[in-house]
Amino acid sequence: MDIDSLQAQVKNDLEKVSSPEALEEVRVKYLGRKGVVAELTGSIPGIPVQERGEFGRKVNAFKSGLHELFAKKEESLKDGEALRGENIIDIGMPGIAQQVGTLHPLTRITDEICSVFSRMGFSVAEGPEVETEYNNFTGLNIPLEHPSREAFDTFYLKDYDKKLLRSHTSPAQVRIMQEKKPPLAVVVPGRVYRPDAVDASHSFMFHQIEGLMVGEGIKFSDLKGVLETFAKAIFGEGIKMRFRPHFFPFTEPSAEVDISCIICGGKGCSVCGRKGWLEILGSGMVHPNVFKHVAIDADKYSGFAFGMGVERIAMLKYGINDIRLFFENDLRFLRQF
Amino acid sequence: MKTTYQWLKDFVEIKIPPEELADKLTMAGLEVVSLEKKGDDFVFEIEITSNRPDWLSVSGIAREVAAITGGKLKNAPVFSAPRKIPGRKIAGLSIEVGIEDKKDCPIYLARILRNVKVGPSPEWIKKRLELVGCRSINNVVDITNYVLFESGEPLHAFDLDKLASGKITVRRAKDKEKLLTIDGAENSLLPENLVIADSNRAVAVAGVMGGKESEVDFGTKHILLEAALFNPVIIRRSRQLLGKTTEASYRFERGVDPEAPERASRRAAQLLKDLCGAEDAGMAARGSAGRKTVTVDLDTGYLSRILGVCLGCAQAKKILLGLGFKVKLKAKNVLRVEVPSFRQDVKQPVDLIEEIARIYGYEKIPNSLPLITPDPDTGSRREIISEIKNLLVGLGLSEAITYSLVDRKGLKDAGLESETAPLSVMNPLSREQEVLRPGLALGLGRAVSFNLKQKQEYVPLFEIANVFKSGKEPEEKLALGIALSGTKSFFSGEGRVHDPASFLHLKGILEAVFSKLKLTGYEFVNLPAGRVEIFLHKNKIGSMLELGRQALDALEIKNHKVFICELFLEKVFSCALPDKKFISLPKYPGITRDISFVLKEEVSVESVIASIKENGGSLLREVKVADYYRGKQIPAGFRGLTLSCFYASAERTLTEKEIQPSHDLACEFLSRRFEVKLR
Repeated sequence: MDIDSLQAQVKNDLEKVSSPEALEEVRVKYLGRKGVVAELTGSIPGIPVQERGEFGRKVNAFKSGLHELFAKKEESLKDGEALRGENIIDIGMPGIAQQVGTLHPLTRITDEICSVFSRMGFSVAEGPEVETEYNNFTGLNIPLEHPSREAFDTFYLKDYDKKLLRSHTSPAQVRIMQEKKPPLAVVVPGRVYRPDAVDASHSFMFHQIEGLMVGEGIKFSDLKGVLETFAKAIFGEGIKMRFRPHFFPFTEPSAEVDISCIICGGKGCSVCGRKGWLEILGSGMVHPNVFKHVAIDADKYSGFAFGMGVERIAMLKYGINDIRLFFENDLRFLRQF
Repeated sequence: MKTTYQWLKDFVEIKIPPEELADKLTMAGLEVVSLEKKGDDFVFEIEITSNRPDWLSVSGIAREVAAITGGKLKNAPVFSAPRKIPGRKIAGLSIEVGIEDKKDCPIYLARILRNVKVGPSPEWIKKRLELVGCRSINNVVDITNYVLFESGEPLHAFDLDKLASGKITVRRAKDKEKLLTIDGAENSLLPENLVIADSNRAVAVAGVMGGKESEVDFGTKHILLEAALFNPVIIRRSRQLLGKTTEASYRFERGVDPEAPERASRRAAQLLKDLCGAEDAGMAARGSAGRKTVTVDLDTGYLSRILGVCLGCAQAKKILLGLGFKVKLKAKNVLRVEVPSFRQDVKQPVDLIEEIARIYGYEKIPNSLPLITPDPDTGSRREIISEIKNLLVGLGLSEAITYSLVDRKGLKDAGLESETAPLSVMNPLSREQEVLRPGLALGLGRAVSFNLKQKQEYVPLFEIANVFKSGKEPEEKLALGIALSGTKSFFSGEGRVHDPASFLHLKGILEAVFSKLKLTGYEFVNLPAGRVEIFLHKNKIGSMLELGRQALDALEIKNHKVFICELFLEKVFSCALPDKKFISLPKYPGITRDISFVLKEEVSVESVIASIKENGGSLLREVKVADYYRGKQIPAGFRGLTLSCFYASAERTLTEKEIQPSHDLACEFLSRRFEVKLR
């Protein structure tokens, strides 16, 4: 077999190739197991010994030459395709993919808030929406006949004795302390209910997140530190906070916690009622009477508790101006988050 | 509670401007919600917390201002100790005071003032009353209101000549006793109402509002001035029954200083003498304001530990003295504190700690971070819920949150009532909040309806929330609800594809959820009337349905189908595998063979697949539906199906020759048993 004439044959074959499939056929013809090069190599034993060396070298040279030619041809086929105008991609056309859904903005905010506390070591728990009067009031040092009760106006259930829809997530504090002994640190998100007429800023059903930490040596300064960490994580490093003395029957000392208005930065606007501060949390040191109800030794242990309205925080953070939007479930609203 | 800058200055030295005072008050716990300039004065509107009734008076707030700013208190007479209280009769007058139940009314003082000249009030009283939101009536009534705002003790003046002479009694109203009050309302009273009565009839609702017939007007000559204390609980119930809240009832409900009635009576008498020319004819009294002195011991070590800042005895003592407490050093680091009569809210050391902290300044207490020992229990329930939600979001659904309290009518109209009566609420504000929902379908259905009305072509929603049932105890269970409606339209490589929602789409979503949670052993069972029930390990855990005409009409949904499924999650949580265990990959490749055939519509594909599996031999690993169609080539009443049969062995690579007989057998079996036509 004459290697030189083979070169010419290769060139001919390649010229006829106009597709990757055809190129592959030619490649197999020459470089395949039963191809031309294999035959050549197989014919070496039949050549006189002195000529074997040179023949072998020629075969190898031929082989490398082939690799180069095929590679070149592959390249030119690709370029050719582009030039021929096949497989033009207009990347401006709509992408083809599954439409992704959305988590409800209240879920997103709840998850974000719980995650901040989780990172600090709090665990997340839940409590029932149907509660006992004891857990909702008595156990929390809220006397049944007192004006402070009005702040927690409640839906009582018919046909049951002293069962109601919880008006805050604080009953979970009572449950947790009955089950677990200190040290403990928990946040409890959940739905709460108050007989309120529905308008742009009120709803009879809304969500709260309650936090509770009890242990030896827990201080008011710890409460401040934990809540500051939370506020900065949710609203940004530049946020300012202030703790204002307030009253809750289940904490003493108590505080309401304000953040500097995220809309006007503290100068005063319609959102913050021109005060420059937005109230976001209620908090305080757990009242000894509450500890007494759950048989925790108030001399040995102390603790703090806090609560926040999830809708309020979501409305502040996302700039939503009507609470009813959360429960309308308009896809144009839901898909923004 | 409103008060003014100038009025406060009557009681305490103030050297700072109103804005600065407002800020200091807010940061000490008296939140100033508005500060307005009115003429040459400033009106502070302060939100008073329910535990501090002593702040419901100008003198009370003034005391606070003194403690916060260090200003000196003035006008001692108003604060001076009460004198001894006289007996129940007044010499020379046939007036006697009687109290039916001491628990309802611990003390009642009746002062007689004669020859009162009733007329308009001087400007300074009118102005101040108007600034705090109280209408001027006449000088006598105005004085009673003025002293109420000043001292926190509500007073009432009766026209003495309009009262039947003899006894003034504080008693419970008789059932259906009538009384016309000064607001012009004709009231029918109940024994829950406490009244002031003369020897004939009730003349006032005690602690709430006076009667019209005995009110002081321009013809009045002599008055009976009432200063009393009433039980907060009875006043609260009484005013709730009447549907009235007054400045008087507001204060009695929260608790008035037991020493206030006597002081207020004296102060009012003075004003009545000075401004109306009245003659004080003496006072009759019943009951006593006496109370046990409350003493609280405070360990300053405890104080510092609770707050997280070091405060010594001297500092703590100074603050408490400024607030009106009497303080003695009982032992090293222990203060013995005597609580004044106007602080009924202070009972334990923590109450003193709050006082000290708020005057010291919460902002001066540093921030610290506590050491928290995390709980290793990971809360797998929440994790599973999170996985389900994220999967559904990935499948294109949006999470909805719908109301748990619904209208009974809504459930009924949509045919979504449950067999057992729903849990209902005793005091719904409106019919919209009557019952707790037994399922998620109504809420999701309403959300679907709303979105279809906004011209959404495809509505995919889900919700994970509690649903409620009555039983021995109220039951609350977590459920997953999914609603699909409309036609999903999306792009494929060929162009736009339209995919209308159906039961099989719901099934697909649920299968994805089960698969993610590694749940096996679930079954979907067809029921008549377009319902499907879902079982997990033979327990019914949920159902799927297509909303019928009744529900669609009730929800105002036109021209769209709505498919809803509801799943109870408790069983799912207990069966979901928390840890995934690796299953080794097959060593040897298998062979896939397809069977295409035409099948009668009534024959379920499940039964076909089941019987092929039964008869396909041990090498048959899986049979799946690969394709289906109802095209022109398929006769009516039939559908075209392609099943894909996968054969494999754990010991060797299978050959076509090996599986051919089994496969042929399966095909033959198929033709015979189900009368299918192979294609």
